[in-house]
Amino acid sequence: MPGRPPAGAVPETVTAGADPIPATAAGRAPSRRPLNPRRATFWALSLPAWAILLSLIVVPLLFMFGLSFRPDLRGDLLAPFNPTLDHYRQVVETASWWRQLGLSTLMAAIVALVATAVAFPLAYFLAFRAGRRAGLYLILLLVPFWTSYLLRVMAWKLMLGTEGVINSSLAFLGVIDAPLDALLYNRNAVVITLIYVWIPFATLPILAALGRIDVRLHDAAADLYASPWQQLRRVTLPLAIPGLAAAFLMVFIPTVGEYVTPLLVGGSGGTMYGNIIQDFFLRAANWPLGSALSMIMLVVTMVLVVIGLRVVQPRRLLGV
Amino acid sequence: MHPRRSLSLMHALVALSIVALVAACGPGASAAPTPGPTTAATTSVTEPTEPPATQTPPEEVTGDLLVLDWSGYDAEDFWIDFKNTYPNATASFEFGTSDADIYGKIVGGSQADVFHPYTGWLQFYVDEGLVEEIDTSRLANWDVVPESFKALGQFNGKQYFVPWDWGFTSILHRTDHIPTVDSWDILFDTQYENRLSMWDDGPGAVTVSSYIHGYDETAITDEQLEAIKAEWTAQAPLNRFYWAAEPDLIQAMQSGEVWAAYAWQGAYATLLGEGVPVAYANPQEGRNSWVGVYGIRKGTPNVDLAHRFLDAKLGQATGENLVNLYYYGTANGDVMAAISDVTLKEAFSIDDPAILESTNFTPNLTAEQRDAWTAMWTEVKASQ
Repeated sequence: MPGRPPAGAVPETVTAGADPIPATAAGRAPSRRPLNPRRATFWALSLPAWAILLSLIVVPLLFMFGLSFRPDLRGDLLAPFNPTLDHYRQVVETASWWRQLGLSTLMAAIVALVATAVAFPLAYFLAFRAGRRAGLYLILLLVPFWTSYLLRVMAWKLMLGTEGVINSSLAFLGVIDAPLDALLYNRNAVVITLIYVWIPFATLPILAALGRIDVRLHDAAADLYASPWQQLRRVTLPLAIPGLAAAFLMVFIPTVGEYVTPLLVGGSGGTMYGNIIQDFFLRAANWPLGSALSMIMLVVTMVLVVIGLRVVQPRRLLGV
Repeated sequence: MHPRRSLSLMHALVALSIVALVAACGPGASAAPTPGPTTAATTSVTEPTEPPATQTPPEEVTGDLLVLDWSGYDAEDFWIDFKNTYPNATASFEFGTSDADIYGKIVGGSQADVFHPYTGWLQFYVDEGLVEEIDTSRLANWDVVPESFKALGQFNGKQYFVPWDWGFTSILHRTDHIPTVDSWDILFDTQYENRLSMWDDGPGAVTVSSYIHGYDETAITDEQLEAIKAEWTAQAPLNRFYWAAEPDLIQAMQSGEVWAAYAWQGAYATLLGEGVPVAYANPQEGRNSWVGVYGIRKGTPNVDLAHRFLDAKLGQATGENLVNLYYYGTANGDVMAAISDVTLKEAFSIDDPAILESTNFTPNLTAEQRDAWTAMWTEVKASQ
């Protein structure tokens, strides 16, 4: 039924088959009822969200967009300036930054894929198998959020370090003579840490999607002699797709610009694109170039997400 | 399709309203602060209206001073004279993570009254009218500052900064693994792969390369910068990690993860105090040395309190704390002359009269150098 509005939203007076708010709404507006009270409530309730979105995300982004055309940071931040494309030119010409953007995107895709894949069984268990204890397990899953992100990443440093838990355990068991240096301060350490950090996050949207599935559908499938595998593939997974897609995107998009984790566990070889942006903001006082780099990342990420959703078409993939 | 349509309409409206908002705010907001380039003219006008610092009794001085500093420098030990002299005035702190960060915050509208940059990063503040001229007649402790230090805060014949802390940069090494280090090029020695650590900083990398190859640090050519980029790109895999915060370096040297590193002598003195076998090299190319200064933000309403704060910063007790507790040098010459502790004497090379002659002082960066060198460094990091 995609594309159809929910029944409650259709005003009674509209002729059958017409959309409640047709594309030509502007032209027909005067003849319509002034304002549907339900829509008025919707706008009133969404006002705070719009205000926050506008003031904390849209305005700063526009400010950054403007900043990316500024020649340098000299002078008053709000003063007029002669726009320049120099920073974009510099970004376009620097091969190693593009390479880094590609690498960071790849890392983000791997992290998002693995985190979503690991989160699905977790969410499945919570939704269908945990029973009365589901609430308790959910709290356990969220316990890591009670400590700061930094602490959780630092904990991985303790796990992977030269004198860390893994190295000492292996040494104690006699598996290794000298500690393994390769565990920490490289790209793998960044990917592993990020996957760990994102799993609970990825679980939540999947859980929400699974929670909406009518369990009687499983019974119905079973009545029609569907094997458990067929039930999962033909009933549960298709209905969970919005949650899976949300989980993937929720992990993928912020991870492309990640910079804290590589700073802590990445070492000199685990830099990500976000660190380059951070360097221009905090280490070079070159906000304009940092803004240009950010804008390019924003556009690339958005284009990738749109292309990804078009190409993959998750629903068709599963034959729904 | 209608939800998407209405959404894009919404976006257009939002964008329009923002454009209108920005357009409305623009001129009004920019008219307010106006940190113009006419620094000299404005300072000379404001001076007579301020009463000399000596007129008000210290206990009657009130107000809160906002200091933009490096984390750790907010410890009371570092401003104990101010606290004791002015019991009814307070100091609060906000933090910058690097010189660039502090500069960015001052440009970005920080309300800090006083800020703490380091040599190399001073010229921009003066050129761009971001710093107030210091009235040295209001600083009772000004005479304890050696002339060479005073000169570091002078631009265009005027005193813009009060020097406060100083130290060396050199190679810090674990003597149990690397007994002697005689050159900065140890950082490029492949036999110590995974046991080295460079500071995560572009200008720092250019400095090291300049020492090794005898480049003029103040006039690096494009070809030289390319060569520097190439050599640090090759060097990157040799690092255990690039260190950003000093405690990370100290911990790694203590545990033996890192054997040789670009380091400040605060790390050296800390490790020495903890009994770790370390030495601070005297490379044949010479050590680097830097000085930290305090400036008063242009346009602050607390010019008087800021002067009192800076004067107290030069006080005896504050200087002694800086030296004894944190192993950094102070601009208070009397305190430095009185040092007797052996560890400290070693840290500052006080008994080595030749040390200052073979030291390379940090030259002032230009905005172009700063941008180019940092861009170079991100390329080094991005190429891994």
